Amino acid sequence: MAPRTITPFGPQHPVLPEPIQLKLTLEDEKVVDVMPAIGYGHRGIEKACELNEYPKNIYLCERICGICSCIHGITYCEVVESLWPMDIPPRAKYLRTIFSEMSRTHSHLLWLGLLADAFGFESMFMQYWRIREKVLDLLELTAGHRVTQSVSIIGGVRRDIDADMKKHCIEVLKDVRKEVEALSNVLVNDYTVKARTIGKGVLSYDQAIALGCCGPHLRASGVKEDCRMQGYLAYGDLSFEPVVASGGDSYSRAAVRIGETIQAIDLQLEALGKMPEGEIAAKVKGNPPANEATMRVEQPRGEVFYYAKGNGTRNLERLRVRTPTYANIPSLLVMLPGCEMADVPIIVLSIDPCISCTER
Amino acid sequence: MIDKLKEISKDQLLAEVKKYADSKAKFVTGSCNDLGDRLEVTYFFNASPGMDMSALRFTVGKGEEVPSMTGIYLTAVLIENEMKELFGLKVKDLAIDFGGHMMLAQDSPVLPMLKSEDQKAAAQKGGN
Repeated sequence: MAPRTITPFGPQHPVLPEPIQLKLTLEDEKVVDVMPAIGYGHRGIEKACELNEYPKNIYLCERICGICSCIHGITYCEVVESLWPMDIPPRAKYLRTIFSEMSRTHSHLLWLGLLADAFGFESMFMQYWRIREKVLDLLELTAGHRVTQSVSIIGGVRRDIDADMKKHCIEVLKDVRKEVEALSNVLVNDYTVKARTIGKGVLSYDQAIALGCCGPHLRASGVKEDCRMQGYLAYGDLSFEPVVASGGDSYSRAAVRIGETIQAIDLQLEALGKMPEGEIAAKVKGNPPANEATMRVEQPRGEVFYYAKGNGTRNLERLRVRTPTYANIPSLLVMLPGCEMADVPIIVLSIDPCISCTER
Repeated sequence: MIDKLKEISKDQLLAEVKKYADSKAKFVTGSCNDLGDRLEVTYFFNASPGMDMSALRFTVGKGEEVPSMTGIYLTAVLIENEMKELFGLKVKDLAIDFGGHMMLAQDSPVLPMLKSEDQKAAAQKGGN
């Protein structure tokens, strides 16, 4: 047996935008064991949500994650609305859906760029991020901000998409779709990309379920599971079918995200076309009653789970947020042992880790 | 209101969790809540593939030991460690025990998710 060494991967590493440490036990260059360590940025947002009034928590929840910010706000509003329960106007549901899918588009484009950057494909990294800028511009135009939109309120949304915006969105989205397809064609067919991702970090169908994985990470192992199948917001009216791959490796995870990027654009186009006229927010009075509710929403990285318990006062009794990365980190304990040290960055990146989310 | 919520005792926990594992259900997460002299623990499961969710719930006195489900679902290791260090839930036989410092640093507040006296009083008065 080769001598063993323990090598820290992180908390600062080029593929990690936020701090997490993996203590890798190596035999020569082969990983034989891994122990994750988090806790570098715990912010106590769940506790803070017990101390603030219901509407103010939207802004707190949006700060759980920069990339999934908009969907965190939407999910919080949805779970609080379930406490009454109350219904929101149909147009608000469509608007939330459009903003969600815009978020998914820019998140996946960000990840695809990071993947290219991780194995040194700098020109592809720049191209993906150049395209992403167009989506961020659309978010700024429609929701009012590129990153932290604060567009969702309890009872609906606070901004509408007018006819001019809609026309512009459709033009840009069609353009973005063409560019993503062309660029992703290169990504999935490139020899180096295949060599660096195929067979790396394999997770079988059964393992993905046993380890509680979610999102593109789960679907890349062949599990047809996506919160949008529940038909929340306007998804029940749209042609939605989960994107699934069967390889269970880093290449399949990239393929699923490419498919979902194009699908997200199609969903936005369909929702823009079908969006009914009407109010964008319901009038909300008073506090929710003493009740509890859960909400499961598909973020770009996977399922986010909110549990809320109200006690009839202005404050929540309890808010629990389980983010996608929180569910996907344990799978690294299975995916990394047996791989080469050089493959660790790609495999870690393949789950699209968001440590900010995990720490809350 | 949570659909398909089953109230159990802590002694029934592992047998109930095993049923989920045998049916290939996915563990979603857990949640802990401070009820005063007791802690309320809820675990959520999903019948994969699909979106059919159900939950198990039990309450325990503060200081009582609770068995870990990490021998059945390894993925519960993060939430069980989190409930241990943020709420003081005494989980025994954890597959990986971070020793109370998975989320919190050495100089962090102790059991920060427990309700303060101010919070309890405000909830009783109906607002704060």
